[in-house]
Amino acid sequence: MTAPDPLLRARGVARRFGAQVALEPVDVDVHEGETIALIGPNGAGKSTLLSILAGSLEPSAGTVERVDGMGVGWVPQRPSLYDRLTARENLELFARLEGAENPRVSVDDLLSTFGLPADRAAASLSVGNRQRLNVAIALLGEPRVLLLDEPTASLDPGQRRRLWELVRGGTVVFSTQNLEEIGLYASRVVVLQRGRVTFDGPAREYERVHAAEVFA
Amino acid sequence: MSRIALVLRKDLLVLRRSPLLLALLIVYPLVVAGLVGAVAGYGSSKPRVALVDEDHLPAVVHIGGRAFRITDAIGEVGKNVHLVRMSPDEAARQLRSGRVVATLTVPPGFLDELKSGLSSPSLVYQTTHGGISPRVTQQVQALVYSLDRRLQEAFVQTDLRYVRLIQHGGAATFGGKEYDVLGLDRMHGLLVQLPKSSQRDRVAEFARIASVALGQTGNLLAATASPITLERASEKSRSSLLSAQVEAYALALTITFLALLLAAGALAAERDENAIGRLARGLVSLGELVWAKVALAAVVALALGLGIALVFGVIVEAGGVVGGEPWVRLPLLALGLLLAGASLGAVGALLGALAREARTASLVAVLVVMPIVFLGLVPKQVAPAAGWISDALPFVHAVRYFASALYDARPWSTVVREIAWLVGLGAIFGAAARLATRRLLA
Repeated sequence: MTAPDPLLRARGVARRFGAQVALEPVDVDVHEGETIALIGPNGAGKSTLLSILAGSLEPSAGTVERVDGMGVGWVPQRPSLYDRLTARENLELFARLEGAENPRVSVDDLLSTFGLPADRAAASLSVGNRQRLNVAIALLGEPRVLLLDEPTASLDPGQRRRLWELVRGGTVVFSTQNLEEIGLYASRVVVLQRGRVTFDGPAREYERVHAAEVFA
Repeated sequence: MSRIALVLRKDLLVLRRSPLLLALLIVYPLVVAGLVGAVAGYGSSKPRVALVDEDHLPAVVHIGGRAFRITDAIGEVGKNVHLVRMSPDEAARQLRSGRVVATLTVPPGFLDELKSGLSSPSLVYQTTHGGISPRVTQQVQALVYSLDRRLQEAFVQTDLRYVRLIQHGGAATFGGKEYDVLGLDRMHGLLVQLPKSSQRDRVAEFARIASVALGQTGNLLAATASPITLERASEKSRSSLLSAQVEAYALALTITFLALLLAAGALAAERDENAIGRLARGLVSLGELVWAKVALAAVVALALGLGIALVFGVIVEAGGVVGGEPWVRLPLLALGLLLAGASLGAVGALLGALAREARTASLVAVLVVMPIVFLGLVPKQVAPAAGWISDALPFVHAVRYFASALYDARPWSTVVREIAWLVGLGAIFGAAARLATRRLLA
């Protein structure tokens, strides 16, 4: 029996910033329904790999293939939104840019689902609400894959739990420094160290064998 | 709505929510334009010229039977230059140090030579080299011309008194002695009382014709003294502050400042707000992002430029200034504002991409605006290199376009040429900005 084609397939993707190597050539497949935790110490290349998978950064080498017409949601570590626009205006702008057929309906749904204050400027939102808005924007266009770069880094435990309740269930790739989230949410773990993949396997195997080594 | 239009709409919304920034963007360049105008005005203010009176001219001089008040003559000159009396040594010292730009010396014996009417006395003029000295020379020449005109009138009146004496006769004083001059008219009267003869008739006819001919002398002398006179029309004209050139510069300076700062700041802000990574995922290409900022600069330049033109026009109309504001040319001006705003916006986008951060981009834009503007103000004849550099930037083309579009009788050739410049420069700077925008993703 052959495995289904991955939704995302990265082959030999690498990235340099001038003379600095941020990511050595790596191969990663993302399959339907997986929740992949991308872990590693600071500077390991997690954000770079996620940015390349999201299409916001071009790789210096290698290719990223995705299923034709498939949407990919992207939640960068630092909220990517316009401070002077309200939550509704931010969502409407990105909904229109995504080509949503009925942007107002999509926006109303997301505002309701995420419990966001619609008419407050993004700059005046709490850290938790800004991150929720950041995630809500990523969910416009109903992506089949959601890429999250340390989405809960600045949130308290309650906010983390509520955020995961909103994004669980689909195909998710997230980077984290929080080992607890791996056990709770990840089905697979990819470990990056100094720009290289040093482990790629089921979460349970990672917890059993490698957890202590990665952050040693 | 296109993706460029969506980003443009967002930027306009953000701008509307920044009233302080918007006010500063409008007020600052207008204040700068005013200051530049004031500095230009100071540059054309009266230069200081030393007056060295070695002949010790009296307060009142009598020439040709007319009294001349020296202070009045100096006062008239003072409309153009600031004449300061000083000693020869002081004048020489101040000329060397540049405190005065020229010295005008009245040499000893000047007045006696002038009164004699036998030869033309000279005033001695000395000036520094370069700078405004050519202009001062012109003004001193104008002073001598003005004095000559007054003296000519006096000399002509004196000459005419003698002519009238010969024509009509009467009492006259020469060398302190009084004489009774017969005159041609009275001579003719006496002749016709003599016994009739052909000789008498010929002499009487000569006296009559000579008297008639001398009667025309007054006009002929006046015409010889001043073949051409310059009459200043009393009609209300534009003040220099309302001149076409000032309007063109004010418009160009304002939109240069505005377009550079807006485009640079808005592009760099996409990185500051971390939005560029999301946009670059196929939502908006980097090229579209650059053109959205160019469009932002163009739209704001159009709105502000038309606003300035309207205010300027209202002031001109309210003042009843001759020529008025050329309202029918506003559509042509609007096209220029759009193109100039876009071209300058492309320069701003390049600065924003190179600077990467909004605050740095804004600072760089402010620093770059002034050299661009001042390069455009330097006449090509004064500094050819400045002219070439200026030609490679949109500011000077905007100035030429605005001045021509508003006030030239036949603006089309200039307008078409400057459109080509603005579009070409906009495309070049826009393409450079597109390449540099990749830096924002790193």
